[in-house]
Amino acid sequence: MNGLQFEALLPYTLLAAASLVVILLIAFRLSHTVIQITGFILMCAVMVALLQASALLPVAIYPIFQIDGFALLFTGLLVLCVMVVGLFSFIYFEEREENPKEYYILLFLGTLGAAVLSISSHFISLFIGLELLSVSLYALIAYLRNRNNAVEAGIKYLVLAAISSAFLLFGMAMIYMETGSMEFATIAKKLQTSNGHSILFITGTGMMVVAIGFKLALAPFHLWAADVYEGAPTPVTAFIATASKIGVFAVLLRFFQTIGLSNYPMVITVFLVLAVASMIIGNLLALRQQNLKRLLAYSSIAHFGYLLVAFLPGNAAGVQVAVFYLLSYSITLLIAFGVITLLSSREQDTGDLALFRGLFWKKPVTAAVLTLALLSLAGIPLTGGFLAKFFVLATGAQQQLWFPVTVLVITSVIGLYYYLRVISTLFGEAVPTPVKKTLHPFFYLTTYTSLIVMVVLLCWLGTFPNDVIEYINRQLLIR
Amino acid sequence: MALGSALMVIISRNPVHSVLWLIVTFFAISGHYIMMNAQFLGIVNLIVYAGAIMVLFLFVIMLMNLNAETEPKKNKWLKMAGIIAGGCLLLVLVAALKDAEVKSSTVQLVDGEIGLIKQLGHVLFTEYVVPFEVSSVLFLSAMVGTVVIGKKGD
Repeated sequence: MNGLQFEALLPYTLLAAASLVVILLIAFRLSHTVIQITGFILMCAVMVALLQASALLPVAIYPIFQIDGFALLFTGLLVLCVMVVGLFSFIYFEEREENPKEYYILLFLGTLGAAVLSISSHFISLFIGLELLSVSLYALIAYLRNRNNAVEAGIKYLVLAAISSAFLLFGMAMIYMETGSMEFATIAKKLQTSNGHSILFITGTGMMVVAIGFKLALAPFHLWAADVYEGAPTPVTAFIATASKIGVFAVLLRFFQTIGLSNYPMVITVFLVLAVASMIIGNLLALRQQNLKRLLAYSSIAHFGYLLVAFLPGNAAGVQVAVFYLLSYSITLLIAFGVITLLSSREQDTGDLALFRGLFWKKPVTAAVLTLALLSLAGIPLTGGFLAKFFVLATGAQQQLWFPVTVLVITSVIGLYYYLRVISTLFGEAVPTPVKKTLHPFFYLTTYTSLIVMVVLLCWLGTFPNDVIEYINRQLLIR
Repeated sequence: MALGSALMVIISRNPVHSVLWLIVTFFAISGHYIMMNAQFLGIVNLIVYAGAIMVLFLFVIMLMNLNAETEPKKNKWLKMAGIIAGGCLLLVLVAALKDAEVKSSTVQLVDGEIGLIKQLGHVLFTEYVVPFEVSSVLFLSAMVGTVVIGKKGD
């Protein structure tokens, strides 16, 4: 390791250090507010370090890590998500737990795991990153352990994630057996020299797809999603839906691109089936949901199905579209979960749709924000979600993937129904409820501000996407 | 030997017998490692699994006082579904892998010393030093998680 490599790794080191700082602050018995603000400042420091590191790129720490523009984009996205999640966490946990401080350690460690995934170019770093992410998530999901729901969700995630890790390791072992290497680039080279398609490699990739599919909640592996989304504390749900999926998707993209999996028709077929199944199952199951958190879980299954359509061609345009899609998707979901956090009461999370009835007449701003987020998820013009979906369609159509593109259009129309159902509930007749007094005016204000800033960002993405797309392109060229 | 004792782990009615068979399995696996010239892995496997983890298992079983009589009745259909699902996986894997010829050149040992502690340490602290550090963070995360979940309620 030389100085350059250290400097390029600085954002990741800072992330690890952030959790240690929080541990020390807890040891000195500082208040929740101090920890929250320190955490926020540390995340800002990580962002600054990322910008600093972008001048040095690309840096490879052979053979484990590959820090390039692609990794930078994904890490930046992750850290932004975590900043917002951290902000929401304050008002959420301040009301509930006696001791909400350890939460931040786990949150930062989970982020580190996802960030390690986004820079890994070797099976070992992939596995360690994934485990770091999931081990933090087990504890985060079951964090409010006095609630039965939360413990159930935590156990479900633990068991299924452990099984999927076993699949991942078995797949890695098979690929190692075939190629004698665990580094992506070397595997690709070995595969090119060996003639024909090897069965061991295909089977190993299949095993790995099971694990990745579980983490991304793609259709046959989606069974955990709704229960975990509902049972976990709302900020943690936001973290699972954005940061953890972004990290896993980043490593999937890198693996796919480096190996050139688009040359294997079998693998393409598998992903095609996953994409179509996710779109159909996600949208159909969401139709009957009476709980907003469960509805968002199924909607995120469907959204990753859409995302796979952009990913199928395996070309550079696909990657660019995927990054843009993830950006608009994570902003939207963060807004939606932020609203749920704001409305949640001390005893339980507001998920039930009946509780949202007539929200517009009580809290017009919150209702408007949620409406915009849902419209973006549905893909209505002028929001980021529309353009993201449009780009996905365009990439799919360019590669003549007519079948998934058709399914995408049809399922989007189905999806529109349940988003509009929620929106109509928001504007329905109000039911009188006792007014909750706000405990921390300052933090409520910042949460509201962040929500509104994100809505503005979403609309900006939907109307003037050029700057963002150019930035993404420029970053992706650094490799 | 390993397969037979692993089978016995599942078949035994008495949980304590299962655990004892599990220890035999671990010894057999360690034997495999040592025969493959991976002494370090073999020894670590013995110490960690056959030593520490098995003691934990035995303690848990003793404290829980499991008996065959108190075992809850399992759903018959669930059992059937499990057998069918597992059988399908086995079938698919066997079907997929039966044509795969394992090349003789897949893993070429440079010399016979690859499994020795000295070599292992050398690789671990030069080429793979960053993942090594990250895995230490992983343990930190596991520790914090256990403490958070296991903390006494107040």
